[in-house]
Amino acid sequence: MELAVETRGLIRSFGGFRAVDGIDLAVPAGSFYGFLGPNGAGKSTTIKCLTGLLKPNGGSMRILGIDPLEDPVAVKRRIGVVPEDLALFDRLTGEETLLFVAQIHGIDLGTARARSRDLLALMDLAGAGHTLVADYSHGMRKKLSLAAALLPAPKLLFLDEPFEGIDAVASRQIKDLMQSFVSRGGTIFLTSHILEIVERLSTHIGVIAKGKLVAQGPIADLRAGRTAGGTLEEIFINLVGGETAPMATFDWF
Amino acid sequence: MFRILRAFAWMRWRMLANALEHSGSRDTLQRMSLAIENLGPILAAVLLVPSALLLGAMGIGGGYMLAGGGRSVPFDIARVLLLFVPLLVIVGPLLMPGADRTNPIRLLLLPIPRTTLYVAQSSSAFGDPWTMLMLPLVLGIPVGLAAGGAVGAALVALAGALLLIAVIVGLSSLTTSILHLVARDRRRGELVALVFIIILPMVMMLPGLMQSGPRRERGEPRQPRLPAWAQTVTARALAVQPGQMFAEGTRASVTGAGSRAAASLAGLAAMSVVLHGLGLFAFRRVLDSPGSSGARRGTAARPAWGRRIPGLTIGASAVALGQVRLAMRTPRGRAILLSPLMMLVIFGIMIYRGSGTMDFGPFRFNGGLSLATFASVIALLGILPIAMNQFAVDGAGLTMTLLSPLSDRELLAGKAAGNGLIVTAPLLMSLSVPLLVFRSGSPALWLALPLGLLSVYLLVAPVAAICSATFPRAVDMNSIGRGSNAHGAAGFIGLLSFLAAGVPAILIVLLATRVLERPFLAPVLLAAWCAVAAVIGRLLFRPASRIFAARRENLAMIGNR
Repeated sequence: MELAVETRGLIRSFGGFRAVDGIDLAVPAGSFYGFLGPNGAGKSTTIKCLTGLLKPNGGSMRILGIDPLEDPVAVKRRIGVVPEDLALFDRLTGEETLLFVAQIHGIDLGTARARSRDLLALMDLAGAGHTLVADYSHGMRKKLSLAAALLPAPKLLFLDEPFEGIDAVASRQIKDLMQSFVSRGGTIFLTSHILEIVERLSTHIGVIAKGKLVAQGPIADLRAGRTAGGTLEEIFINLVGGETAPMATFDWF
Repeated sequence: MFRILRAFAWMRWRMLANALEHSGSRDTLQRMSLAIENLGPILAAVLLVPSALLLGAMGIGGGYMLAGGGRSVPFDIARVLLLFVPLLVIVGPLLMPGADRTNPIRLLLLPIPRTTLYVAQSSSAFGDPWTMLMLPLVLGIPVGLAAGGAVGAALVALAGALLLIAVIVGLSSLTTSILHLVARDRRRGELVALVFIIILPMVMMLPGLMQSGPRRERGEPRQPRLPAWAQTVTARALAVQPGQMFAEGTRASVTGAGSRAAASLAGLAAMSVVLHGLGLFAFRRVLDSPGSSGARRGTAARPAWGRRIPGLTIGASAVALGQVRLAMRTPRGRAILLSPLMMLVIFGIMIYRGSGTMDFGPFRFNGGLSLATFASVIALLGILPIAMNQFAVDGAGLTMTLLSPLSDRELLAGKAAGNGLIVTAPLLMSLSVPLLVFRSGSPALWLALPLGLLSVYLLVAPVAAICSATFPRAVDMNSIGRGSNAHGAAGFIGLLSFLAAGVPAILIVLLATRVLERPFLAPVLLAAWCAVAAVIGRLLFRPASRIFAARRENLAMIGNR
């Protein structure tokens, strides 16, 4: 099985705290990989390591067969990223943002303009193409960030909470787009707290808790190991130990 | 109400303490960087105590001497100092980072009556350094008067001091609310910031401009040149200036001019009522219109995006053009572009009125070449806030750049070229306008000047990259004050490097003009020096690239803030 993302014993520490504690990821090429975990489990840190924003303290990684520590530029040419904080220039317009990305990827201006037109229309941002990002709403920024990630036609997409703050219509558009991307051979590595969406879209699931990978595999396999009819939410809570959390009771509440 | 005010005081104290204690540093270098950054405010806070004590003593001394009936120099000094307080109250919130002031909108969620909220916000004026320094000064005067035996005058002065404090607090509250209203619409906020950049220095230069004229000979008495109308306006403005009203009322109470003292107190009371009335009205407007009232700004994409800058890769060109757009679209960036031009105009007028010369402290500027040198050096130095913080100025956009398939060398080259492009326009203006207006000076030196400036930039560019990577500072380029400045250490090193890089160029010009007495050699030698500087600069970019690679993570974290 060809792997789009492969890590072996990936470690990332901050001082004495291990945010990512020796995880072995195996994301098959052409899969929709849902990466789940409670708040502070290490999801974003893992994505930052995989996309080159953070340097791991230990372990190895291969992204689309390339070691990102050896050739980060080659990896970045092949991936698209929607980071948690969206990472957009406030003082560029939506169209300029896409043209900037295109220029960095060495895409000629004619193609860049055509692609940015298509993407802005798809994201329902055509009317805001000449508006500064500083004037965009959160949802518009999210869609623009996704458009910027898609513009260079990457083979692998890293999406950190892409549905947070997005309305239902835009959410539906983005979901359709993602499914289309995967159906054409692309790979998506997605983190989201909205388990219903992950359950509906993902072919594979990885669950991280306290920096360790506690489960990984096709979603059907994960279900098979549980009681019949178990939802992803139940599986997730079971895996991260949520069932043992005591019910909060306060005498003043 | 007291309970709420106490909670607000505690909140402000904790915000200050947390900002100093919890720096969020990731390694030793960043800890050091943040420590240097915090050194200024800590030093200012430490110096505030002796300064306040000194001003308190000055107030007491001034009041005591005034009670004695003679001339009180400390009281006269206090009077002059009080002139500046209202100005600081108005300008301070604009120059200080916006984050320092609590946004009242979020407090609407708490069960606090709006009037109490207004009082709480107004009381934050007591935390401003100028207010903290003014308090002991104005409260010391009645103490001194009482100690000197003028108890009646002391009571009048105390009433005046309290009214003056109320006026200053009202003015501060009104200014803050107006700024909130203005800044809610980003475009309007930027416009106001820009107006302040242009108007304030102009106003400060106005007396100099009006008094400039042909150079006086040694021993020739200075003639007052302020026009009569300007003198009248100044006198009338001073008469209603709150600090002067307080001083006038206090002096009148000592000399027994009861009606004048009462008039001053009544004036201060009326001013206080008006300011607080307007302040409360503006504050209610702030609370009632939490959303932005501004329309979205449309900006047509220029074809420049497709362009490739000669000598740069297409990716590096994109970075360079992005840097230029940042400068053109933020108040601080525009200030960098416009301020040198403004200086050029002001000094140009002064030289023009001064028959081709102008005295500036110990220096005398002669003709266009001097003006061009002065203005172009100012233009080059103007790039410091951006060049010395060239990565962090991108904010969240820096993360996008770091995620892009750009090598470190491409990124650094793009940034250096972008900074160079930003400074090119004001430099060209600084050189061409004096040349066209004054048409004097040696052609060889006119040629040497841009070459000297180029050599300086070639040497400083890698230093700027190193400083920006080592001492990044999360900034708000919408601010025109400290909020958009580079890190203190980076700014200082940057200034030193500019000066050091200028020394060889100056020596070459001196060698050609003074030692060899062949001015035509100056541009030839400087062209050769530029080639050497380009090689040195290129070599310096190697360690710069290594340092940048080592600091990538920290820069990404700065971008996230």
